[in-house]
Amino acid sequence: MYMTQQSMLLCAVFVPVVGAFFLPIAGRISLKFRNLFALGLVLASFIFSMSLLPVALSGKSILIARQMGMGINLIFLADGLAVFMACVSSLISAIIILYSFGYISHYDNQNEYYSMVVLFLGSMMGLVFSANLILLYIFWEITAITSWRLIGFFREKEHVLRADKAFLVTFFGAVVMLIGFISIYQTTGTFDLTPGAISNIAVLLILAGILSKSATLPFHTWLPDAGVAPSPVTALLHAAILVKIGVYVFARIFIATFTVSAFWHTAVPIIAVVSAIVSGGAALVETDLKRLIAYSTISQIGFIFFGLAVGNTMAVAGGLLYILMHGFAKAGLFLCAGIIEQNTKIRDITKLGGLITTMPVTAMAFLLCSFSVMGIPPFGGFFSKYMVFSGAISSGQLWTSAAFLIAAVLTILYLFRVFNLVFLGEPKTSRAKEGSFIMVASVAILTALSLLGGIFINYPFNFVQTIVSNLSGIIR
Amino acid sequence: MYSWFILFPLLSVIILNLPFRGMMNKIAIWYALALSIAQVYLVLFPVNIVMPFLQLNLNADIISRAVLLCIAIVLFVTILSAKYLIKKEDKLFNFVNLLFICLAGMNGVTLVTDIFSLYVFIEITAVASYTLISFYKDKDAFEAAFKYIMLSAMASAMMLAGIALIMLISGDTGFFAIREALKVSPHSSLIVFAIAIFICALFIKGGLMPFHGWLPDAYSAAPAPVSVLLAGVVTKTLGIYGLIRIMVSVIGFDGPLKQALLFIGALSIVVGALAALGQSDFKRMLAYSSISQVGYIIIGLGTGTALGIFGAVFHLFNHAIFKSSLFLNSAAVESRLGTRDMDKMNGLASKMPVTGITSVISCLSAAGLPPLAGFWSKLIIIVALWVSGYRVYAVVAIMASVITLAYFLSLQRRVFFGRIKEDSMNIKEAGIGLTLPAVILTAIIIGVGIAFPFLRDAIKF
Repeated sequence: MYMTQQSMLLCAVFVPVVGAFFLPIAGRISLKFRNLFALGLVLASFIFSMSLLPVALSGKSILIARQMGMGINLIFLADGLAVFMACVSSLISAIIILYSFGYISHYDNQNEYYSMVVLFLGSMMGLVFSANLILLYIFWEITAITSWRLIGFFREKEHVLRADKAFLVTFFGAVVMLIGFISIYQTTGTFDLTPGAISNIAVLLILAGILSKSATLPFHTWLPDAGVAPSPVTALLHAAILVKIGVYVFARIFIATFTVSAFWHTAVPIIAVVSAIVSGGAALVETDLKRLIAYSTISQIGFIFFGLAVGNTMAVAGGLLYILMHGFAKAGLFLCAGIIEQNTKIRDITKLGGLITTMPVTAMAFLLCSFSVMGIPPFGGFFSKYMVFSGAISSGQLWTSAAFLIAAVLTILYLFRVFNLVFLGEPKTSRAKEGSFIMVASVAILTALSLLGGIFINYPFNFVQTIVSNLSGIIR
Repeated sequence: MYSWFILFPLLSVIILNLPFRGMMNKIAIWYALALSIAQVYLVLFPVNIVMPFLQLNLNADIISRAVLLCIAIVLFVTILSAKYLIKKEDKLFNFVNLLFICLAGMNGVTLVTDIFSLYVFIEITAVASYTLISFYKDKDAFEAAFKYIMLSAMASAMMLAGIALIMLISGDTGFFAIREALKVSPHSSLIVFAIAIFICALFIKGGLMPFHGWLPDAYSAAPAPVSVLLAGVVTKTLGIYGLIRIMVSVIGFDGPLKQALLFIGALSIVVGALAALGQSDFKRMLAYSSISQVGYIIIGLGTGTALGIFGAVFHLFNHAIFKSSLFLNSAAVESRLGTRDMDKMNGLASKMPVTGITSVISCLSAAGLPPLAGFWSKLIIIVALWVSGYRVYAVVAIMASVITLAYFLSLQRRVFFGRIKEDSMNIKEAGIGLTLPAVILTAIIIGVGIAFPFLRDAIKF
């Protein structure tokens, strides 16, 4: 069947968005059918995004535009950056949904779970392809609504409170960002992403939205609290996709579209380094496994911001590569944590120990994913971290880079501490068995991807190079 | 054609009460439903019927038509819920008659072109709604209705005094004539005084801060279908539409008046939202939320620009839809649990899925989350504020939507989103009379929200 690239782009967004609403109906027919349908929707989105890859790699872009008046136009744009982000998000989501088959199978409200996850991914796809600020804002908020429902999934009072907190913090950031968008609208007369200079106040306002969504200091507190969600949700929201929204929008708005004053190239790295070190320190003393990994996410997001904000080709490429590598590895860590939590019913790492004897695959996956997050060669995480540092140093950010080294050391410390406490030493609990096949397999896939991403680094590396070299000339 | 909008409901009351009433008892409710559907149809697709007799001086621009549409939609859901909730046939018959009087009054308010008729129709609607509030004759309702009557009577007196003074200056009560007369000496102290008391009277009718005292009691003590009607359209038509009409067609916008509207609007938004945050009675929270949302309408109007007024009218429409839906949800919960105290509920969404889902969507629309209808109207109001230079008010309005989200999340948490309590394990979903209207309204919220970018060109404001 022949499809134009435009329709593939629309399918990548609207197959999951529309399909999500049919999942509860599918759930009435058969649970198995619903699960496969959910996976199919996400995989379809992945395949449609992949089909845009050749165009994106050739440095061209696909544009769908419809004028609507008042500057609120329907514009979808698939350039290298968007396609890259779409492929990463949908691939990781597909693996997480696979894992959910095992994890979520014995809880209530599964229909809601699957439709919210798929809707979340769909709106993420919409967000990455949006080239209009209002369109972007709409998808941004849909992801907030779905993550509110997902964080409160277990419906305990405390969980719902934390879901409300996450929703309110990100909504606050979003409306501040909306003011920034409106101020851009006032100067340019349109909400479309058109290149130009924007005022510092607009940058500040938009940055507040981005930092709240990416859980960076000072808006980070909702992320560790949101660890009460089911593990696949935490992997989805906190590792792979939700927190990357802020990073992506940063790249889209401040690097690919508007020119901002040079001040931000020093200010944002400083915010990022403070965030990375503070949360790295918090991870070092935290004892709740999922909270710890959540702090680690905040810390790693700092590195991504660092790479993107210094504005040097190498560093930006490193930042983008970091999104990919961190997505695989951190999703792997969260899913491992989910297996441990489900089989031992304990999340306090000081009460765990010796799990390597009973959960060998999970332990290995955890260790290898940790290596990638730490940045140990030949894992993918090494290359991204190296590129960020190398780019930053060559553009003269010596002191910030030195400070980030501390954060990198902290990463190594807290991840080894976790591995040590949880998997090594004497078993402190009754014999916990390994997770179900499908859960272990999804963790193994993520681990393999982290490793392969490092071994075959030239493919993703060339891709991000192409993206970065085209970044200046992609927007209409 | 528009005179039918007033005459037909009035004639209907007479026809229904003619001697062969026994037969009418049964069909009254269906008749009312048909009438509201007819009004929806006629507003959307106007037909030009020439009336040979009784030439009334009426006019319907886009603002009036938007409000007529709200009235018809909310009336429709009110009747559906009344049919379900009011079991006794003759009670229901009385209820329908009162609704017709209310309808005639509200349609009149939206269509008239002179301030004295405006006053008359406002009073007709108000009298019908006092009776509706105290429909079940219980103590709380009497107290609430009494409060409403007292404040409303004051408003009426102020309004009449204002009209008298304006008459004195212009010699006419028609909108156009007054407008011309006001141009001669717009800042004489008499005119300023007349306009000030007239507008204050409308603030009382619309329940704005600091004139809102009657509103939470009236909304929460009224029978459920009446709350839907009151919150959805009655106060909006009497106070808010009246204000929009007077501002747009008569007084026009000038500096101090705009400042006053913006200030009152911002005050209502913030104080209403903060007060809503502290409520534990389902309907009272919605009532305070109404005060807050009306503030958005007023602040949009206060910009005085076409965009701001468009946003205000659009928000009036959206508010009618989502607030009616939420009052229906509260009626559904109350009918099953017998209480409105939110602290006695939890996790009802698992037992009442339709009510749960419709309430989530209505709450999110009220808080201004995309892609729902409420997002667009709030966005337009805020853009209008920002572009016309009232940036502080824009920031206040946008930050207050965080508070709005906060109290609606607290409502969701306490009522629907949580674990079901042991003692409410046997709760069932409310009947179709309460769920179907909520579903219809929710469909409008989603439909308008998604289609708005496409609809915008068609509206041609």
